[in-house]
Amino acid sequence: MNIQRFFLFFLVFLAGCSKPSEEIVVATAANVQYVMKEIKAEFEKETGKKIDIVVGSSGKLTTQIREGAPFDVFVSADTKYPQEIFKNGGSAEKPRIYALGTLVLWSKKIPKAELNVEVLADGKIKKIAIPNPETAPYGEAAIQVLKSKNVFGEIEKKLVFGESIAQTAQYITSGNVEAGFNALSIVLSPEMKDQGNYIILDSTDYKPIEQAAILLNHSEDSPKKKTSEQFYKFLYSQKAKEIFQKYGYK
Amino acid sequence: MNPEPLWLTFKLATITSVILLVLALPLAYWLAFGKFKGRGIIESLIGMPLVLPPSVIGFYLLLAFSPSYWFGAWIESLFGLRLVFSFSGLVIASVLYSLPFMVYPIRAGLQSLPASLREASYTLGKNEWETFFKVLLPNCKPAILTAFVITFAHTVGEFGVVLMIGGNIPGVTKVASVAIYNEVEALNYGAANDYAMVLFAITFVILLLVYSVNNRLLRVRQPS
Repeated sequence: MNIQRFFLFFLVFLAGCSKPSEEIVVATAANVQYVMKEIKAEFEKETGKKIDIVVGSSGKLTTQIREGAPFDVFVSADTKYPQEIFKNGGSAEKPRIYALGTLVLWSKKIPKAELNVEVLADGKIKKIAIPNPETAPYGEAAIQVLKSKNVFGEIEKKLVFGESIAQTAQYITSGNVEAGFNALSIVLSPEMKDQGNYIILDSTDYKPIEQAAILLNHSEDSPKKKTSEQFYKFLYSQKAKEIFQKYGYK
Repeated sequence: MNPEPLWLTFKLATITSVILLVLALPLAYWLAFGKFKGRGIIESLIGMPLVLPPSVIGFYLLLAFSPSYWFGAWIESLFGLRLVFSFSGLVIASVLYSLPFMVYPIRAGLQSLPASLREASYTLGKNEWETFFKVLLPNCKPAILTAFVITFAHTVGEFGVVLMIGGNIPGVTKVASVAIYNEVEALNYGAANDYAMVLFAITFVILLLVYSVNNRLLRVRQPS
């Protein structure tokens, strides 16, 4: 093959890649990843349109969005991060809350009857995993619970910080820690079912975990604009609400 | 800026490099001059951290160090030590992860020495170990220096493995690379920049030092 033909082939190949697609990308906080799988299936069934899901911690996704990542909708684990994007002009609309998260204490080793926040101070518990409170709302809530039960000082040295709720779940399920805090939606997912015991923590011990989503900016002529709006709307529909409830969201 | 993650990073890199130097000297010698079967397998194993994604190493170490699996359980029952989320765990992981960076330059240095050097030493009645320590090693100082510094710098740059088995504990496993990642996630670009700049500057300075020293040493040895 001579060089011109090679370049021609290469150009045609590239052109094939850059065909405008209507498939939208939804940036998804790790705690909603399993729910989103179901919501995605439902949305695709209803509209015949395709969506892609990218999972990460809300902080990381926000940074990526700020630096121009091609996401269409951002489903965050809190309200602070989408608010930040709105303030920076990343969206024309204010973020809206789609669900309230529920915090659980989860362990593979401690029997359910003995599982509570006070037991974490026991000498047999060497390590406790929480999502990084600086970047993950569930971690922040976990700290609030520990403080309201007056065990924070005692167990502070045992804490191990997961980069996201997903990594924290992985620390717990791999048995690297004796117990950890997580989202109810994760322990209820089919993927994590039967992986140990959990208890739902008293929601008055922590500030409500208000999870918001935000519709990201699109140019007027973007082929993704319509699907993104449609999906954003779907997120607040009765059908989506039922799926969220199934996963323990309020 | 909290200097703790930086201090931890350099502590980790120093300890790892010293341990690796001790391990790598005999290993490099063995690889350079030893005659044994299965050389390809040994060389492949040592070189694997060069090409494997750190997440692969991190994943297997996470399982190996876990008290739920035999190795982690065995270490914990023996020494009462849990390697995952501990500084010792990071040291072990870094030793594995940086191994080829120490072994390869030293082996190359040893192999580049003229065979007559060893032969002369043997003829003069020195045994293998004396020859190694008194004749061969002093003659490949640039290679050893390069190996040490590259290992140090590579460990400073370690991120993926620490992210997976470190647990981000301040003062224990929260090294600078992870601190940068955190600050960026928390949208504190200023703080991330502070750490990043320090790493950037220090890495440049140590590499500059090693290359300048090496150039000088090599110029002395090579007849112009």
